[in-house]
Order: sequence, then structure tokens, then C-alpha cells
Amino acid sequence: MDGVSFSVAPGEIVGVIGPNGSGKTTLFNSILGQIRPTSGEMRFLAEDITGMTALALSRRGIGRTFQTLQVFGSLSVRDNLIVAGQEFRGSLPGRLLAAPDAGLGERADELIELFNLKRVAHLPAGSLSYGQQKLVDIAMAFVSRPRLVLLDEPCAGVNPALVDELRELLLKLNRAQGGSFVVIEHNMEFIMRLCTRVVCMVEGRVLAEGRPEEVQANAAVLEAYLGS
Amino acid sequence: MKKALSIAVLVAVLIAAPLGLKNYGIYLLTLWCVYVMAGMGLNLTVGYAGQMSIGHAAFLGIGAYTAALLLKAGFAFWLAAPAAALLCFVVGLAIGFPALRVQHHYLAFATLGFNVLMFLAFRNEEWLTGGTFGISGIPRPKLFAYPMESSLGFYYFVLASTGLLALVLWWIIRSPWGRAFAALRDNPIRAESLAINITAYTLLAFAIGAAFAGVAGAYFSALVQFIEPAPFNLTASLMLLLMVIVGGSGRFFGPMLGAAIVLLLPEWLRFLKDWYLVMFGFAIVALMIWLPGGLLSIPQRLRFSR
Repeated sequence: MDGVSFSVAPGEIVGVIGPNGSGKTTLFNSILGQIRPTSGEMRFLAEDITGMTALALSRRGIGRTFQTLQVFGSLSVRDNLIVAGQEFRGSLPGRLLAAPDAGLGERADELIELFNLKRVAHLPAGSLSYGQQKLVDIAMAFVSRPRLVLLDEPCAGVNPALVDELRELLLKLNRAQGGSFVVIEHNMEFIMRLCTRVVCMVEGRVLAEGRPEEVQANAAVLEAYLGS
Repeated sequence: MKKALSIAVLVAVLIAAPLGLKNYGIYLLTLWCVYVMAGMGLNLTVGYAGQMSIGHAAFLGIGAYTAALLLKAGFAFWLAAPAAALLCFVVGLAIGFPALRVQHHYLAFATLGFNVLMFLAFRNEEWLTGGTFGISGIPRPKLFAYPMESSLGFYYFVLASTGLLALVLWWIIRSPWGRAFAALRDNPIRAESLAINITAYTLLAFAIGAAFAGVAGAYFSALVQFIEPAPFNLTASLMLLLMVIVGGSGRFFGPMLGAAIVLLLPEWLRFLKDWYLVMFGFAIVALMIWLPGGLLSIPQRLRFSR
């Protein structure tokens, strides 16, 4: 990546688009501390977070999802959601003595309802269909109400009917919780109808940035990415 | 309700089991309790938290020698057993550190090396452990007028202690810690992104598992009243791991069933004389091929095959 710079305002949903190998995932990995940039810095609420561990970032309220499914297969859907939020409450020794649901039962049920997972809430997450696991996977990132959520290709492998549902869910969560989202995605319709702003990357640089329709109409973007 | 009933039946069976048995039978039952204690700890480390360990007998040994030395020095069992647990907890924490860097078979070898090292220490540090001659004349615990010296009385004492330890494990497993251990086992990368401190939970998984073995070691000392290095060698670690896996790794009652099979099957197969070890070996191989989830996975297998 070279000279990439952009900011995300509170409550904003920013889409990151670009052809394969344009540096989108490298950007995420840099923000998430998996790659340390040779120069430059990442700031979150005025704090320099460059090179921080995944644990430190999550504690600061930065949540994420992965390109591939990452659920806890042997735990029930409800337990997946509870475990996704329990470490934000109390101390480590305190959690040994805490209620089994760590006081998160209601929050878990709320997300189960929202993500329409009631029927499978008590099944092991690993036994669900791909689409259902994807929903669990995404719901997990929101349990602790993070202030920033990085979503890496949320539509990958998801059937078209679910894509629309997913977009509505993310919009609902954004309105209800007020966090900021950064979304990497190849599904243009999804990005255009979800995001308030879009950043297009090509060969490690920001090629264009602006409102979705502006970026979509940008001649350079059309040539480098969308034209095909 | 069904679960409570099964547990009540299990407890009733365990209370009735020694009645009519000779001393050797009661000794075997008591030994089963000791292995269940150690097995529950290993199940936490391996089954629930997904950390490989082939060195669990070393903790059993550390617990046994610690308790034996303290009991011989005149300290009460009520002090010796917690001391054994505490020492094992601390050593377990230290042994957890390699697990932060290596996983699976590499971790297996790291823990195996620890076991070999401890075995050599038990055998060669004669000034402390008595070497191959071991430590004899270890006294039984004292509890008012309770008949600890009778094998039946001691069995009930160890059984009650095992029950208490099972409650402790149950508490841990159903607390948020239990869920964090499962998350660590299933997907450590995702776990970390959800603020789960995988360093702390990995170390805890080893330390708590080791502490359970430490307690088991203290009871082992008091049961056999004579300890030497052999019961804490690598083979013993493999037997402990076998107990967990045969019963059902990551299942609460796995070590209880597993310990019964590993301990009692050779006794039942005695009529086969020289062939018993061969049969035992075949049974284990067959089990691993057809039931990798252990015997307690049978009901689940039947449900899914229907």
C-alpha cells in the first residue's frame, strides 16, 4: 500500500472496493495489527493503534469478521453469541464466579431474534448451513456493541436472497447501535445500497473516494475495476 | 430431570459397588477414583481447552511426592493435598508457556519431554524422593474417628472427594470460563478478535488440569502408602490420555467411563492369560477407528445415523 489515507466518522458505513490484489485485505490486516506498516499510522479515537494485537484492538471496541467462516463449531449458536461478548464484562477471576450466561442471555436472544436464528439457537453452530453460520459469524461481531466493525467480504459464498437480508440487518444494526462499519466487498449492488461512502483501491493506492454514486460514475474506477 | 436421575443412579451404584468386594476390589475402586480426579483435569486441558498433553502423570507424581513428603513430615492431609494442588498449579502454568508457541504434536512432544524430565528427577534425586526405593509408610489422613485405615472407609472418603472435585469441574465448565476454553479449542484466532485472552486461558487450562492431577497425586499417596517413580512414567501419561479419549474427550463423564475401562478391562480380561494385553490393544484400536469421539459419543452417533 502506498499513500492510503482515509477516515471513518462515527456511525458511517464505508465500503472498500477494488480488484483482487488491490490491497483491500492488506489494509484490513494493517488496521488489525497483523501487518506492521513500514511507515504511517492508524488512529482510533485519537489513540495511535498501529501494530496493536488483535486482543488489544478488540478491547478498544474494534470488532471484525473474517473472509471465511469463523464460528465456534461445537458451541451452540446462543453460546457463540454469549462468548463473543462475555470477555468485555468484569474481570477474568470474576467471570469464573459470574452467572453461566455472563449476564448476556438477553443480548444474545435479541441478536438471535434479529438474525432470525431462533429455530437453531440451541444447535451447535458447526451443524448449521453455510448461510446460517455466516449470520452467526456476523452477529458475533456485534454482541459487544463495538464502535468500529471491519467486515471482510460479508457476502462471500452467500446466496442472493440472503445478501439482501444481510444488508438490511447491517443497516438496522448501524441505526440501533450507532457504530461505524468498514466493509470490503465485491458485490457492487450490496456496497452501493449499504454504504454512505466508498473508497476504491487499485494497486495499493486510493483511486477514488466519495459517495457511492460518485465512485460508481468515476471514469478511472470504471476503467480499472467496474468497467469489465 | 433425566440427567439428575442418571447421576443419582451413578452415585447409588458407586456407593453400593464395594459392598461384598474383597480388599483388592475395593482398592481398585479407590484407584479408579484417583484416576478419575486426574482424568478430569486432563479432560479440561485436552478435551475442553484443546491443548495436547502427554505429560499429565508428571503432575500426578509431583502431587504424590509433595503430599508424601509433607505427610511424612507430620503435616496434616488437609494441608498436604492443597499444597500438592498449588505446586502443580504453578508448574502447570509454566508448562503452559510452550503451548503459547507450539500446538498439536509439537506440544505433545514438549509435554512428553517434561514427563521424562520429571520421571528422571523422581528416580535420581534420592535425597528428596528416595529414588527407586521410593517413600514408604505414608500415613492415611485423619478425620475425627472416621475409619480411614479400613479400605472401605477410605474408599468412601476418596469417593466423596472425587464428587467434590467433579462439582468444581462442573462449576468451571458451566461458567464463562468453560465457554472461553471451548472457544480457544475451536478457533483461537476468532477468539482473540472477541477479546478472549487466549494466553491467559491457555495457561489456565494447563494449570487447572495440573492442579486436579496434584490433588489426585495426594490421594494416590494416601491410598498406596508407598510411592516410587514407576506410576508417574510416560506410560502412565499415555494411560491417562487413553482414559480421557476412550470415555469421550470434552465430555463431562468421559474420564469416569474411560478410567473404568482402562483400569478394569485388563482385570476382566485376565482369564485370557498372556493374551489379555493383545485383546486390550485390539479393543482400543477398534474403538479409535469406529468411535473417535469415545464411548460417550455413541448416543449422539445413533441419533445422527437415524
